[in-house]
Amino acid sequence: MNDYVLDVSHVSKRFPPNVIALVDASLQVRPGEVHCLLGANGAGKSTLLKIVAGAHRPDTGTMQIDGKPVDLRSPQDASAAGIAMIYQELDLIPQMTVEENLLLGHTPRRFGIISRGRRRTLAAAALKRIGATFPMTARVETLSIANQQLAAIARALTGAAKVVVMDEPSAALNETELEKVFEVIREISAAGVSVLYVSHRLNEIREIGDRVTVLRAGKTVETFDVAAVDERTLVSAVVGESHELLERGEHAPPREAFALRVKRLDGPAGLEIRDLEVRQGEVVGLAGLNGAGRTTLLKALFGVQPSTGEIELFGEPYRPKHAMDAIRRGVGLVPENRKTEGLVLDAPIYRNATLAHIRRYRWLSHRRMKTLTHPVLKQLQTKFGSLTQPVRQLSGGNQQKIVLAKWVIDGAKLLLLDEPSRGLDIGAKADLYRLARGLAEQGAAVLVASSELEELYANCNRIWVIHEGKNVVCFDPAVTPSLDIQQATIIGRRA
Amino acid sequence: MDTTSKELVRQGSDGGKKRGLINSPLVEWAMRYNFILIFLLAVGIATSLSSDFLTFGNIANLFQQAAAVGIVAIGMTFVILTANIDLSVGSLSAFAGIIVALLLQGGMSGWLAAPLALGVGLVAGAAMGAISVYGKVPSFIITLAGLVSLRGATFLLSDGSPIGGLPSGFSSIGSAMVPIMPGSDLLFPVMGIIFLVIAVIAGLVLRYTVFGEYVLATGGNIEAARLSGVPVRAISIAVFAISGLLAALGGVLLTSRLHIGQPTSAQGLELDAIAAVVLGGTSLFGGRGGMLGTTVAVMLLQVLRNIFNLVGLGSFYQMTITGVIIVLAILLNRLIDHYAGRT
Repeated sequence: MNDYVLDVSHVSKRFPPNVIALVDASLQVRPGEVHCLLGANGAGKSTLLKIVAGAHRPDTGTMQIDGKPVDLRSPQDASAAGIAMIYQELDLIPQMTVEENLLLGHTPRRFGIISRGRRRTLAAAALKRIGATFPMTARVETLSIANQQLAAIARALTGAAKVVVMDEPSAALNETELEKVFEVIREISAAGVSVLYVSHRLNEIREIGDRVTVLRAGKTVETFDVAAVDERTLVSAVVGESHELLERGEHAPPREAFALRVKRLDGPAGLEIRDLEVRQGEVVGLAGLNGAGRTTLLKALFGVQPSTGEIELFGEPYRPKHAMDAIRRGVGLVPENRKTEGLVLDAPIYRNATLAHIRRYRWLSHRRMKTLTHPVLKQLQTKFGSLTQPVRQLSGGNQQKIVLAKWVIDGAKLLLLDEPSRGLDIGAKADLYRLARGLAEQGAAVLVASSELEELYANCNRIWVIHEGKNVVCFDPAVTPSLDIQQATIIGRRA
Repeated sequence: MDTTSKELVRQGSDGGKKRGLINSPLVEWAMRYNFILIFLLAVGIATSLSSDFLTFGNIANLFQQAAAVGIVAIGMTFVILTANIDLSVGSLSAFAGIIVALLLQGGMSGWLAAPLALGVGLVAGAAMGAISVYGKVPSFIITLAGLVSLRGATFLLSDGSPIGGLPSGFSSIGSAMVPIMPGSDLLFPVMGIIFLVIAVIAGLVLRYTVFGEYVLATGGNIEAARLSGVPVRAISIAVFAISGLLAALGGVLLTSRLHIGQPTSAQGLELDAIAAVVLGGTSLFGGRGGMLGTTVAVMLLQVLRNIFNLVGLGSFYQMTITGVIIVLAILLNRLIDHYAGRT
């Protein structure tokens, strides 16, 4: 018997032109173990999973399954080789029954006609292995998310999987549901099936994992026995050992007056924000892992996610129900995805830039719209050919400046920026933050969420860590090593 | 012109130069307004086929025939600009036409009956829009149901037969001709004038009102519009209300022109209107297009019909060839979009 059911060694993956997702990643999974994969945002977990699942091919490196070298060219290859992938957004077909889903793709058939009896037997056997309490005649959309997860695991088992790969299954589950999924994981691993479990929650890894491999910046750092490793070692493996203060500019101190005071804000997906404040002239950063609730918080403050609570905006009570409520009070949102949420791509630059502002008028003067737009775009140092050019033709950085210009033109006094630098090159990122700082110095308040800690470090007066929907710790980047903040994003408290 | 706008104009031509193929303002104009060139081509062909084509009487006649489709197509343009569709306009036209005929037959004044019928159209359109928006049902389905139901209701109201005996005052509007200038003996149809006036107003609304800008933004990217404070639901409902109102107006005018309320009238009108809107360069995905295109395309389709008649092609040929021409025009627009870097 081979030592490892899955042996990935020294793989690298580069996405042209210049994204290097994996540098040198290795991973060895023993038969029947629960092997966890841990890493910060952007460490390369997803890329490694996709390589294991046959969705990407590595540039260099090798993969062995049961000691035999394999070259997975497609997800079908991977599943034939015994790898079953369960994606976060479950790939079950909601309108079909559990039974139909379980054998989709390898439905037992004779002369093209489904052998229903045989399918029922196979499905029943798979459901029995996971101890399902739901009937196989149920349509998937009627099941809870946890039961859908279980159905997805059962489906993996019908394909005679040797390794079941689960990508952050806990993201959509509550504690009791998660416990159910854990029980099933323990049962199938006891039966000899390996589980590769991706999560950035340390307590889960401790509860379910046998061993854990840590990835950082595209490289495998080390593999630990979960029982033998302490939290400190694990966290420093994830975040690295750089204790120095990251570079940061000199910032003017904020003014006395509060722009935003969130005393209490409860929203969807467990959002519970307490006592978060932004002063005028201040740039406050929101750090956290993916799915920690930063986007939900910003959208709730903008009135497009339902929420309850007690908020003051410039000293007055604030309860936005629609984007318009927020905009009228001087709040502007630069959303996470500028193409789908920020811009009307085929519309001219000046019409995008004035879209929020024109509510003040009834009649449009295109000349006035252009003369409003032009100086602001100059101020933001936007590169463009003509104001009538469709926004689609601009580069990403300049597109983002148009979204920002929309709120500058409208005179917004509180700016909510959600991952504003995503997809921008280094120069455009620096530009963008310089603009945000400039607006703050003119008296605006800025609340910015970013996954890139260095950016927040360099530009924020304070950084709040958001963890599982709660604002857990607030740091002053001038006196805090970045390690402390990174640790807090993972463990949810001061280390 | 102040300095800033001069600068903008200059920058405008600079920006054009960078886009390779489109290297002169003239070519850019020709691509953008290609439907005008196609229209002129069709007019040229028609003129060469018959010396009667380019006479004032024939042109007036073309406007008389195109007016009802044209009015409905203007409303349809608003709807399609928001990336929706309204299939109910033909049935709604007939419905409003029957309502006005019944009211007039019952002795009501035309000054009251016509606005009532238009109000019915407005409310019916707004209701379909509201169901689509709040019920989160595609407008295709809701207005398809409207197409079927309203036609049925039209037959129910009229008992399936035409309603005649309308007062001559009302009947004269649809076929009335007025001199284009006081004292001139060139006569132009009132229906054609109504169509052109509505087209101009709609064009101005689209370009010079915040409402028009919101229509374009909602169709261009509904999520970005919502996050910029555009009341996207109200806008979507409003365009259906406008479409319903104009469909009803088309129906009332048709009743007037035919001197009867005809329950089978305006069948397939929705398809003619959609064809004109799309032929006029308005994108079915929303956000791009305009009233000039729709107006020219309505007239283009009418000129094509005229050409077919001049060369003696029957209506079966007309239908077949019209379909082919629409497909070719759409492919041409796709190609132009591609070169303009919009796809």
